[in-house]
Amino acid sequence: MFDIMKKTVQAGAAAALMAGTAFANPYAEYEGTTLIVNFPAHPHYDAVMKILPEFTKQTGIEVEVDQLPYLKMRERQTLELAQDEGEYDLIAYVVFSKADYVYADQLENLAKYFMNPKLADPSYDADDLIDGYVYNIGFAGGSKGYLEGKTGSLFGIPYGSETSILGYRTDIFEKHGLEVPETYDEMLEIACKIPELEPGMGGVASRAASGHHASHAFLLHLAPLGGRVFDEQWNPIVNNEVGVAAANALKTIVDCGPEGATNFGFGEALGSFLNGDTAMFLDTTVVAGQINDPSKSQVVGKVDWALHPMGTRRGSQTGGFGIGIPSNAENKEAAFLLMQWLTSKEGDKLVALAGGNPSRFSTHADADVNAKFPHMATFGEALKYADPDWRPIIPVWGKINADLGTTLSKVLTEDLDIQEALDGVAERTKAVMEEAGYYTWN
Amino acid sequence: MADAALTTSSSSTARQAQRNRALSLNRLTPYMFMAPAVFIMAIALLYPLGYMVWGSFRDWDPSQTIGEAEFVGLKNYITLWGDPNFRESLWVTLKFAFFVVTFEMVIGVGLALLLDRNIRGMSALRTMFILPMMIAPVVVGLMWRYMYHPTVGTFNRTLDGLGLPTVDWLGQHALMSVIIADIWQWTPFIFILALAALQSLPRSALEAARIDGATAWQQIWYIKLPLMLPVLIVTGLLRLIDAFKVLEVILVMTEGGPGLSTEILALRISRTATEFRELGVAAAMSNYLLLLLLALTMGMFAFTRWQEARAARVRMAAEEDS
Repeated sequence: MFDIMKKTVQAGAAAALMAGTAFANPYAEYEGTTLIVNFPAHPHYDAVMKILPEFTKQTGIEVEVDQLPYLKMRERQTLELAQDEGEYDLIAYVVFSKADYVYADQLENLAKYFMNPKLADPSYDADDLIDGYVYNIGFAGGSKGYLEGKTGSLFGIPYGSETSILGYRTDIFEKHGLEVPETYDEMLEIACKIPELEPGMGGVASRAASGHHASHAFLLHLAPLGGRVFDEQWNPIVNNEVGVAAANALKTIVDCGPEGATNFGFGEALGSFLNGDTAMFLDTTVVAGQINDPSKSQVVGKVDWALHPMGTRRGSQTGGFGIGIPSNAENKEAAFLLMQWLTSKEGDKLVALAGGNPSRFSTHADADVNAKFPHMATFGEALKYADPDWRPIIPVWGKINADLGTTLSKVLTEDLDIQEALDGVAERTKAVMEEAGYYTWN
Repeated sequence: MADAALTTSSSSTARQAQRNRALSLNRLTPYMFMAPAVFIMAIALLYPLGYMVWGSFRDWDPSQTIGEAEFVGLKNYITLWGDPNFRESLWVTLKFAFFVVTFEMVIGVGLALLLDRNIRGMSALRTMFILPMMIAPVVVGLMWRYMYHPTVGTFNRTLDGLGLPTVDWLGQHALMSVIIADIWQWTPFIFILALAALQSLPRSALEAARIDGATAWQQIWYIKLPLMLPVLIVTGLLRLIDAFKVLEVILVMTEGGPGLSTEILALRISRTATEFRELGVAAAMSNYLLLLLLALTMGMFAFTRWQEARAARVRMAAEEDS
């Protein structure tokens, strides 16, 4: 049934395209162009690789992909974007690169492309793109300098973005008559109950290793508990009551987690959930594809998904990748066409069906996509609460993030007092911000 | 006459000048022969080094070219000196290097002394011993990381199987764990060099010692080790330099954690450049590391010189006595 539908859709698309060619083909001018794009090695972009031939078939534009591990990708881009003439026509970038690239004037402002009637597809429906993702990944120059707002504009489009979600073991929850946690208190209580109910099993699988991992895990709790890293005047407030509560939540989760949880990076945390060593998993949606893959998972068919629990508010993370056009690209207009096609309703659905992360509300609600991936509806719900400001995207964040992460790691492994630790982070952060000029106007 | 004298003197001056030119050309010849080598060295060695030193005086973001970066003088060096994280990282590096080199020297030389004999299958055994050295550092890191894994790792499963309490290898004992991994990988380096040194020792000295009735320990202590010393010093120095620069194994095993407990300088430099995007500070840190290594190397050479001089004095004294 599904196949028949797919074929009908494809035939329809082909017919529409042929009809289009008869009148005007917006792609005609760029036929035969070869775009060189830089994508990360990531489940979403593996799915993108599967749909690119369709783009070439429809448009006659060839795409050559340079796929790199994502840290390598960033290094490569740093070098490429600083050249006068770059090699890449389109790049995928991680959220925290946005600040650096826009600041260094290395990404094209997309306004002129969306203004160009020859390039912009009227049926694109930008309002269907997920708000939190667009503001988090695409916008710069608005509120706080890195978000949407009256002074902001668009530099990229989310593609391969993710949010946080709670995965839980249905068998364990049923066996012990546990309710799926709605709030942080409930989640922490169940997290510490699990090791008692199921000896050898941990509550929640979480990242906690020194550096980026620990910081990520902490920020994941900070936003829903009602906290922020900075106040409106850029004063660090990470050491206030909420910050301490978030650090306590992280410590509780790690203490009631599986053995060795203090050194878990993302891979280990996911591994422990896939191995059946923990009853819950609170992290990115990108893992959904692996849970029911028997070659990777021992919990096939035993996992269901729920919204990121609520503290004083709902607030799940926003992360992942966006795509943008480098200022030094050679084929900017054709690159825009590719970008528009990939993030269009059609492209978004195709990539979702190929196992990628959709960036549109309509794709999350789509019947075909839901038939193939039943969790998509819950993910779509979670996206409404995706918080674009769960971590600041400013050029000095890398340094603050590392300090926060190593200090929290000391809290988790060396029993450093939480308040004292966060006070230290706030003090050092203040100095970094001072030096970067954030208090110039105070 | 006077004219003739003048002509003669002027022609002799010309000849003198010619000779001088030839002489100076002759003198220049060696330099000209050296020129290509000097040129290549300047390009390949001094230019990058100069670039790094120059960069360390700037507030340099990777999105900028070095020319665009603001000149800040010694600021990067001064900030680093006051940075507790840098100091902790330096301390971790010193501890790591000290333990690693000490243990590797003791075990490597010990093994060489034990295996310096004709055993059947010795060559196969030697090849096996140096295998760890040939494995790519990233693979070594991954291997040890999985062996140290808290639940499914070899070590904890063995301990568990024996009914012993398990150890939090990469948590509480992270530094010790990375030291063990490094010792495993690099002891063979010391071993092969020490073995080579042992086998090239003058047999006459050892035979003389044996005839004089020296015990095995006395032979090792008074003959073998002192004769091997020059080789051992260089070997130790090479290992020390390497230990200060080790990166991949630790990066893969712990990423510097928990806290900063295994964040050695090379890792901090790499993070400063890529994560914090502060190339100037990273360059300043590299220069500190370079100075430290330079001091160590010079110290080591001075020590060898002093020892050689002392040995020469002893020899002279002995010759005078006889």
